[in-house]
Amino acid sequence: MVNSNADALGIIFPNSYDSLVPELVSERLMASIPFAGRYRMVDFILSSMVNCGIDNISIIVRENYHSLMDHLGSGREWDLARKNGGLNIFPPFAEKGIKVYTGRVEALASVLPFLREQKEKYVVMADTNIAANFDFKALIEAHVKSSADVTAVYAEEKIPESARKTDVVKDLYYTLNIDNGRVKKIYMNSQKEGIQNYSMNVYVIDRELLIDQIHTAFVRGYAYFERDILAPQLEKLNVRAYKYDRYFARINDMKSYFDENMKLLDDKNLDALFEGNPIYTKIRDDNPTRYINGAKGKNVLVADGCVIEGEVENCILFRGVKIAKGAKVKNCVLMQDTVVEEGARLEYVITDKNVTITVGKELYGTDSFQVYVAKYQTV
Amino acid sequence: MAKEMIAMLLAGGQGSRLYALTQKLAKPAVPFGGKYRIIDFPLSNCVNSGIDTVGILTQYQPMVLNEYIGNGQPWDLDRLYGGVHVLPPYQQASGSDWYKGTANAIYQNIPFIERYDPEYVIILSGDQICKQDYSDFLRFHKEKNAEFSVAVMEVPWEEASRFGLMVADGNDKITEFQEKPKNPKSNLASMGIYIFNWDILRKYLIEDEADPNSENDFGNNIIPNLLKDGRNMYAYHFDGYWKDVGTISSLWEANMEVLDPEHSGINLFDENWKIYSRNSGMTGHKISHTGVVENSMITDGCRIDGHVKHSILFAGVKVEEGADVEDAVIMGGSVIKAGAVVKHCIVAENVVIGKNAVVGAMPSGAEKGVATIGSGIQIGDGAKIGPNAMINKNVEGGEEQW
Repeated sequence: MVNSNADALGIIFPNSYDSLVPELVSERLMASIPFAGRYRMVDFILSSMVNCGIDNISIIVRENYHSLMDHLGSGREWDLARKNGGLNIFPPFAEKGIKVYTGRVEALASVLPFLREQKEKYVVMADTNIAANFDFKALIEAHVKSSADVTAVYAEEKIPESARKTDVVKDLYYTLNIDNGRVKKIYMNSQKEGIQNYSMNVYVIDRELLIDQIHTAFVRGYAYFERDILAPQLEKLNVRAYKYDRYFARINDMKSYFDENMKLLDDKNLDALFEGNPIYTKIRDDNPTRYINGAKGKNVLVADGCVIEGEVENCILFRGVKIAKGAKVKNCVLMQDTVVEEGARLEYVITDKNVTITVGKELYGTDSFQVYVAKYQTV
Repeated sequence: MAKEMIAMLLAGGQGSRLYALTQKLAKPAVPFGGKYRIIDFPLSNCVNSGIDTVGILTQYQPMVLNEYIGNGQPWDLDRLYGGVHVLPPYQQASGSDWYKGTANAIYQNIPFIERYDPEYVIILSGDQICKQDYSDFLRFHKEKNAEFSVAVMEVPWEEASRFGLMVADGNDKITEFQEKPKNPKSNLASMGIYIFNWDILRKYLIEDEADPNSENDFGNNIIPNLLKDGRNMYAYHFDGYWKDVGTISSLWEANMEVLDPEHSGINLFDENWKIYSRNSGMTGHKISHTGVVENSMITDGCRIDGHVKHSILFAGVKVEEGADVEDAVIMGGSVIKAGAVVKHCIVAENVVIGKNAVVGAMPSGAEKGVATIGSGIQIGDGAKIGPNAMINKNVEGGEEQW
């Protein structure tokens, strides 16, 4: 058989870093946070995998995954409704005495029988707090070429203030000490200032090796892949570092959520994120967006299905947003089906899905702190 | 299991009056309204009316149409039993035949229809923009105990002689049919949408095929034969939006009407009667600091740095800084370069309009021409294209065409 596909299967952890954006995940999880006008966070990693020929993808969900199930459906929109492989969603087993997983070890232990049955040689693992048009082909090639046991992806960036401040043990973050391409040390929740080798938590690993490691670790009661498997065995396992230097957006907190959306108003960034391979998402069959008499749009990224009669400037509008006559919206991120009624004024506001801002209301946030209006709220 | 009603969609038309737009694709595949193709309307109407089996009869330039329809999934017409099927003419043991006429196209596909053993068959046309509930039409057909019903529109008396007209009595029973008559006796124009009882249609198709003098056409042969035999024929009045977009000016006009749903009656924004289409998959559209958009419809993938007024832009259109677009229909992937002036025209897919080129002109006096640029055409920098031009060859920079 001609194998035009990658010899790897994908595993996605959609709940990682939920704790960083508690408002946005109150009724969803990281993977289904709306991003960039018409997408959800999971679309980026999922589409990237599909575009690189990975067509056997598992999503191991932990909690709040209703919205994700709704979004993904059969996986058809990502071309993942397949007889062989395709999209697998693993919900937690509802068994007495079994609690939902905390780390990747527990999550992967729950799918060990599945992993054993697969045929792909490699496993690619990723979270969904990063939006990137990721080239997994290049990553897998590098992994094979270096004969590493594990390849870990990192980017050179500063650790955001919010991550450093967080005392939530649930979501650890990692920085790497790299010597000549090999990972020498893995630091957890480092407080260091300045540019670090900040892990993107994307890994390639031999499937058989992963099964062995997870089995051993789980029996010993370990929880985390990095802390409990990689970090203690860096002498024994050849863990190679792979630097990612293309465009990506990482969600660390509300502020970065806002900023990363806004950054896409720069054509340079928008092209960098979307050029090359397409990013797929759930189809809504909206009509095109309509600008009616008197509407003004300046420096805006707008999805389909919007009706704009007022003024919008420096905004990201998701699908189906309505801006009535006389309304003025500036520096805002308005999610799906937000309605801004006549004469309302918004500045530095993030509205979640189906929010209504009634006639004449005014809401102002600032550059450093945006007002957030939760799903289905009416102001 | 038998189906109550299946649809047969006539999509073989060349659309020769759309000339530059239909060089490489059949008329039903012509883009419309920002993200649709004409055929999305009848297909969406079918699904929204509960019809889940549609045969699409293709003949002229079917490639784009075939690819677009695919397995029918965008219209929810990928079904285990039924769904959408493209039916081109094919070779048979007894020889092969192009579809000789609308009736012959259906005749050649009698075996397809019989697989579903339908009670009724609705014949649809793939070149109209119309939102219509076919289930209401079927209800009428059943209530009248009809053997044949035709959807009709009231047209102004002075235009009546351009249409095929149904003369009906007070009970909507058809008594006479006039094809483009000089002296119209009715102003009820046939929309070319028919419901037949399948046994009746089958009988008349077979008889028609056996008649060597027949043109094998519904309007010219089948309907007059039904009348002659005194069949139960009724006219179903439709008063919603309906437009035959067979000419450049009517296609342009119908697009412009989309911009004014409050008055024109074509509302693409109706959540209860969605028009489905195959999606571009592009990211949202972007208006820059220099971009100005007035009274227009913009869809995914557009980048607007110039001025767009009262226009419809399809997926992935780029309007560069200083370009001026007004009263224009710009189809997918076209690029309007800096300083170009594009007015009152239709620009097909993947066209490049060079810097400072001028395409079309706003109407002045009797001059109301809609300039048309065919798909994939390059218009050179500084070229001038007059309001009556129909361009299907590249135009060099600085050249003029009228």
